[in-house]
Amino acid sequence: MTIMNILEIINLSVKYDAIQALKDINLVVNQGEIVTLIGANGAGKTTILKSISRLVKPEQGQIIYQGKDTTRCRPDQVVKLGIAHSPEGRRILAKQTVLNNLELGAYIRSDRLRIKADLEYQFTLFPRLAERRHQIAGTLSGGEQQMLAIARALMSRPQLLLLDEPSLGLAPHIVQEIFAIIRQLHQSGVTILLVEQNARLALENSDRGYVLEAGILKMTQKASDLLNDQRLREAYLG
Amino acid sequence: MDFSLFLQNFLNGLSIGSVYAIFALGYTLVFSILGIINFAHGAIFTLGAYFTYALAGGKFGFNGILANAQLPFQLPFVMALLLSSVLSGLVTVLLERLAFKPLRARNADPLLTLVSSLGAALVIVNLIQYLVGAEIYTFPANIYGNLPEAINFGTATKPINIRTVQIIVFGVSVIIVTCLTYLINYTKVGKALQAIAEDTTTASLLGINSERLIMITFFISGFLAGISGTLVSSSVSIAGPYFGISFGLKGLAVIVLGGLGNIPGAIGGGLLIGLAEAFVPSDYSGYKDAISFGLLFIMLLVRPQGLFGKKLIQKV
Ligand SMILES: Nc1ncnc2c1ncn2[C@@H]1O[C@H](COP(=O)(O)OP(=O)(O)OP(=O)(O)O)[C@@H](O)[C@H]1O
Ligand SMILES: [Mg+2]
Repeated sequence: MTIMNILEIINLSVKYDAIQALKDINLVVNQGEIVTLIGANGAGKTTILKSISRLVKPEQGQIIYQGKDTTRCRPDQVVKLGIAHSPEGRRILAKQTVLNNLELGAYIRSDRLRIKADLEYQFTLFPRLAERRHQIAGTLSGGEQQMLAIARALMSRPQLLLLDEPSLGLAPHIVQEIFAIIRQLHQSGVTILLVEQNARLALENSDRGYVLEAGILKMTQKASDLLNDQRLREAYLG
Repeated sequence: MDFSLFLQNFLNGLSIGSVYAIFALGYTLVFSILGIINFAHGAIFTLGAYFTYALAGGKFGFNGILANAQLPFQLPFVMALLLSSVLSGLVTVLLERLAFKPLRARNADPLLTLVSSLGAALVIVNLIQYLVGAEIYTFPANIYGNLPEAINFGTATKPINIRTVQIIVFGVSVIIVTCLTYLINYTKVGKALQAIAEDTTTASLLGINSERLIMITFFISGFLAGISGTLVSSSVSIAGPYFGISFGLKGLAVIVLGGLGNIPGAIGGGLLIGLAEAFVPSDYSGYKDAISFGLLFIMLLVRPQGLFGKKLIQKV
């Protein structure tokens, strides 16, 4: 039996001018999985996500999504193929209302009625956003902005969700809230590629993990095995 | 000043000010999307006037290589005005392709883009001169139909005569501003434009094709320049290939006055400058341009973010 993979990265290298950010990365995400990327600051985690959503151009290598080579797509085309990216630093539209941000999340869709239904669904998922739907997004708290970034990504109805450090800078109980939602999304069938500083929490909620060190993939294992790995415990799990 | 003269000046100011407003909106749209000033905007203004002149069946003079040329057809003025504005929009899209896009693709310094658009302006102006010479062209008197030359808003004893063309100019400008406001605030294209204006990267993560929207923006901007050129020249005549240049500079004064990249600011700034000019006594009308730049100067001193602009909050 073969497991269907939704995303396959083959020999990916990325350079920023002189800096080699990624070198020969090979990575697979299977349908329905949560996969976590862990690594120190500057290891290249964000760069992997940006390569998938085509915000950076690879130096070499291929990215195959649902059997289609997306290496030469524009970022907006990747979104239309079903990949949503909740980026590092959230990048919500600070001058616009929560509602506008969410509606723009559904920019690629034209099924008005279902967009409306999905909006309401986000509001049940994130009740804090529901109360603040007319608030200017820039005035939301950090945690609320993170929720908005995730909800906005979900508004495109992605099959693959890229989450870059969703717990960064948030209070522990908000982090728990966010991870509860990640689990819920997982159950509803969304495939998730997650980048997290909080490696323990991330791995506890993941199927598999990749360990990235200075642009090179060092390890790939089931999340439960990574959690028990001696070297990893010392380096990332504290 | 007696009341009827005041009212007359006021309405004249509104009329020209409303054209300043729609013209300046063209600058503003491009600025808010790309953060650059398109110096060829004034040249497109000129081009729009000439397009309309030709499409409405106007004949060119004895200079330039198109001397005595005339289109084999003659469009009703309203059609000519619309088609000319569309053509102006298309030329602006072409200009974007040639003068802006290559620089953007290389992440070039905005200063280079500015120089490049200045070059484009010169090319357009010189091309016009080469083709049709530098003489003044005047639209026929009845372009807007057989309307009276002026309408009296006062009484027979105390007339307040406003030229009909100025009322039309004002009306058209109001329609344009209304459509544009609707487009920006209530349509998908408008929302996408606002997203790009705020953060291009985020916009692309939302699935917005920013290159396509940049094209649309330049089209609208060129359309606005072209229609402004036509409206102004229908009121005062086409004063030669350079007549958009000074108008272009005034447009800059308007957007700085209103706050760069600010849409209500462009409208308010345009009306303000129009009104200020209208109240310059006729003996001093040579100093009209000094008014707008004087206002601009004062504004930069006391409120550099513009009349309607929010104070920029410096992020640390
Ligand atoms: N736009 C850029 N220009 C130049 N270098 C960059 C750029 N973006 C990232 N880099 C470099 O590439 C390397 C990988 O960066 P990346 O953002 O992918 O790391 P990361 O693993 O996400 O780190 P963090 O945990 O701190 O977010 C770093 O050395 C970084 O300095
Ligand atoms: Mg990162």
